[in-house]
Amino acid sequence: MKRVVPPLIVFVVIIAGWYALAYSLDNNFASADGSALIIPPPHMLFDGMNAPTWQRITSAFAISATTAIVGLLISLVVGVVLGVVMSFSRALESALWPWLIALQVTPIIVLTPIIVRVIGASFGARVVVTVMISFFPIASNTLFGMRGVPRALHDIFTLARASRWRRLTQLQLPAASPAIFAGLRVSAGLAVIGAIVGDFFFTRGTPGLGRLVVFFFQDTRSGPMFVTALVAIFVGLGFFVTVSLLRRLLVSPWDHN
Amino acid sequence: MPVGDAPVGDTSVATRLVVRGVSHRFADHDVIHDVSLTVRIGEIVAIVGPSGCGKTTLLRACAGLVSPSNGTIERHETKIGFVFQEPALLAWRRVEANARLLVDGDNYVNGDSYVDGDTDGDGDVIVEQLLAVSGLAEHRHKWPYQLSGGMKMRLSLVRTLAAKPQLVLLDEPFGALDQLTRHHLHDEFLRLHAQQRFTALMVTHAIDEAVYLADRVVVMSPAPGRIIAEFEVAQHVPHSPASRESSRRYDPSFAALCGRIAARLGDHS
Repeated sequence: MKRVVPPLIVFVVIIAGWYALAYSLDNNFASADGSALIIPPPHMLFDGMNAPTWQRITSAFAISATTAIVGLLISLVVGVVLGVVMSFSRALESALWPWLIALQVTPIIVLTPIIVRVIGASFGARVVVTVMISFFPIASNTLFGMRGVPRALHDIFTLARASRWRRLTQLQLPAASPAIFAGLRVSAGLAVIGAIVGDFFFTRGTPGLGRLVVFFFQDTRSGPMFVTALVAIFVGLGFFVTVSLLRRLLVSPWDHN
Repeated sequence: MPVGDAPVGDTSVATRLVVRGVSHRFADHDVIHDVSLTVRIGEIVAIVGPSGCGKTTLLRACAGLVSPSNGTIERHETKIGFVFQEPALLAWRRVEANARLLVDGDNYVNGDSYVDGDTDGDGDVIVEQLLAVSGLAEHRHKWPYQLSGGMKMRLSLVRTLAAKPQLVLLDEPFGALDQLTRHHLHDEFLRLHAQQRFTALMVTHAIDEAVYLADRVVVMSPAPGRIIAEFEVAQHVPHSPASRESSRRYDPSFAALCGRIAARLGDHS
């Protein structure tokens, strides 16, 4: 009860605020057919929806969700490999780290037009943008997780003459996995942002969720615009829940710090 | 020149570990200075000394984890087990999997290339025996975080001994435990030693622990650590080491030896 009721109360407050905003705005219902122009109240959310509109939202969802999933998976591989490589050698770490920071502080969105020019407005370009935005938390958390393995555990593997591969797979990566999952959770959110925001720069082909919101905005179709935004929220939520479930399955049973 | 009962460097009996004139420097000062020590096969030797005297460095050098700046350490083809002050368990392995960590088999650490590896494949049997003896068998499916401090330390011992080491190095292994648990583990350790007959070199700051467990107690000075005395326990406490009865803790001779060792430590602090 304690876990359900408080969020439910906040939900009711949000819906009430939504209604209050929708009915307090001037001209919100000044259209010919009485539909909302700016913010549709919750019960009128699906009023402007029809089959072709659903079709557009579905394809936009497919393209954005696929971009985010593929981008996040590549980020996971790239991030873990970079973290592992940097943890193996201080020289490599000092060579790579400043550039990773530089990439991290760059708003990747401003690079998107260049990437689109170079690669073309393809699925590949979308994924590249997503990976560039989302891999950093996984890379840094992998590095810190690998570095944080206690010396005594390393000594045990040293005395057992374990190979580097065994040390990596049986000691360092498992020990770093809670940190990697913490990074993955942040990266998952960034991958969704990358997939949807990067979409603004893809002016040809089927629009993703980002560009579709702009289309509905330009057509002053506030209902479909809100539905598209809600779909984007659910994509982000889906990623968050998936990562949390994986964590609960793989790490939570033994990680009790 | 070391002072005490036993001559240093006496190689007339079979030795497991010979430390000759070992010094180790960190930055610009010696942590240990000119340490010589011989450990015979099957013997338990305890090193006592004030904190910061380089006991741990000496132990790590004996394990080959540190190369000393000067001197030599001979341990031939000895399979070494190391028990740390913290249990150093792998949190993501259950109790049984932790116990098997160093045992032969494809999934285990030394499956790669343990030079002196155990190839007769009785690792499973040994792990089972050790789990049973240490009372961990019924907890085999638990995660390390679910164990008490004493059980974690038992598991750490089991993991080390399952690999059938010839030389076990222990770095204040019982230091973090309460008195009662510590005494239980002392007796358990001695039982396991009686079974497996490994050689042990142990570092501790507890004099009574050293006298209770060891055949010989080596006293080190404050940094830079040197050996300032050695005591053959059997010459002072009649019940040990042949008959290791726990009642010897309460024998006046036990307290007397502890007192003598404390006095030697006190002279140099």
